[in-house]
Amino acid sequence: MSSAASISAPRLGVLLRGEPVVLCSWVERWDARRLGLCIATILIGAGAYGAAMGFWRAPLQGLFVAIKFPVIILLTTFGNTLLNAMLAPLLGLNISLRQSFLAILLSFTIVSAILGAFSPITAFVIWNAPPLSADPLQTGNTYNFIQLMHVVVIAFAGIVGNLRLSQLLRQLSGNSAVARRVLLAWLAGNFFFGSQLTWILRPFIGSPGLEVEFLRKTALHGNFYETVFRSFVQLFTAH
Amino acid sequence: MLPLGENPEEREPIPNAIVAIEAILRQPRRVMYQLRQPGAGKLMFAMLLVAVICALIYGIVVGTFSKGDQLWAAPVKIASGMLISAIICLPSLYIFTCLSGSHARLPEIFGLMCGLLLLMTMLLIGFAPVAWLFSESTNSVTWMGVLHLLFWFIATFFGLRFLENGFSHSNARSSAGLNTWIIIFVLVALQMTTALRPLIGTSKDFLPTQKKFFLTHWGDNLNTWTNAPSTRTRD
Repeated sequence: MSSAASISAPRLGVLLRGEPVVLCSWVERWDARRLGLCIATILIGAGAYGAAMGFWRAPLQGLFVAIKFPVIILLTTFGNTLLNAMLAPLLGLNISLRQSFLAILLSFTIVSAILGAFSPITAFVIWNAPPLSADPLQTGNTYNFIQLMHVVVIAFAGIVGNLRLSQLLRQLSGNSAVARRVLLAWLAGNFFFGSQLTWILRPFIGSPGLEVEFLRKTALHGNFYETVFRSFVQLFTAH
Repeated sequence: MLPLGENPEEREPIPNAIVAIEAILRQPRRVMYQLRQPGAGKLMFAMLLVAVICALIYGIVVGTFSKGDQLWAAPVKIASGMLISAIICLPSLYIFTCLSGSHARLPEIFGLMCGLLLLMTMLLIGFAPVAWLFSESTNSVTWMGVLHLLFWFIATFFGLRFLENGFSHSNARSSAGLNTWIIIFVLVALQMTTALRPLIGTSKDFLPTQKKFFLTHWGDNLNTWTNAPSTRTRD
């Protein structure tokens, strides 16, 4: 009885520990309370981290990023639902659309919980940093350090989220190779979609030389990969 | 390793702060066991209250170096800085313990954090007479800063050891997460000392107007001390 009660109770600790048997039962059926917990965790956790990220530029930037960061996560989850649900059985994991959607949602919930937990620390570091200035001599090293800090924290959260997802996929498939294929395919799709969403919804840290705005005026002009490709070409052809 | 509560002495409740102080030094397993029992909230509150009082007392000792406003400013900053550092780091402690497979719930984690703060500040009180003696017999802000940091490192070491021992009874698969958190906690606490400066020297402002990372602040003070080692310097 107590184990059934613990399986139905939406507990963050269970999610973070990544207990595969429990998580398998979670993706078996819709549960409004659990769904609400996941979405709330994404909104609050990713939102808090986004606020910490953006407020170095300005408090308004903090508010904008607090809205945009959870939106990116939720749009990536929902936007790729159909694709991910189709890739899974094609790669050997016979799960339903509900199961694939919930599995990815759970992994992003873990990511957001970790980001939310690190948001006070990030905010404290940024609070101790000199104000963001247009003069690179004044804030060059600090900007690089803070950017690196964001990369490390987000990468850590992402790695843990995907580790838990791979453990869940292994439990669902009973086969490590299938789980790995599906995970890599989902990662590729989510990365491709998510990076372009991030490009459209920039800025995040912001630039002191540009005004604080929710979206850049050129948000829908060009794309992330085009920009990376052009930078790459310029790097090797500049003289 | 014996499970908590195996020894009958560990199952004796801790009724008040005085018993908590004695227990955390002589019977830490008793404190860890009691933190898991229903009604542990009163024990946690008592430990936190004593930790704040001890921090205030140690802050007064820190303030005796410069006297004047530092006699009230230093204790306020040290006690509040300690609490703010703990609050900042508590969410990540819970995350890291869960990721390590620990079954400890958030109230128990909070209780272990209270134990860490209590043991840390009690040890600082133990160092207080030594700190006071040096405060009265030296003019160097930098030297006093080094001394207080040394005492803080020693006190924090024992506090973190209590936390680690408590953590080891919670079915965690690995201590890598907790060790990472310890590094984060120490860095946050060290940065807090710079964010709330001056704690030892004097200044016309309660809080600094210039933001600095703690290593930069230490470097600046070391340069000042190297150039003028026998003068009392302002922050």
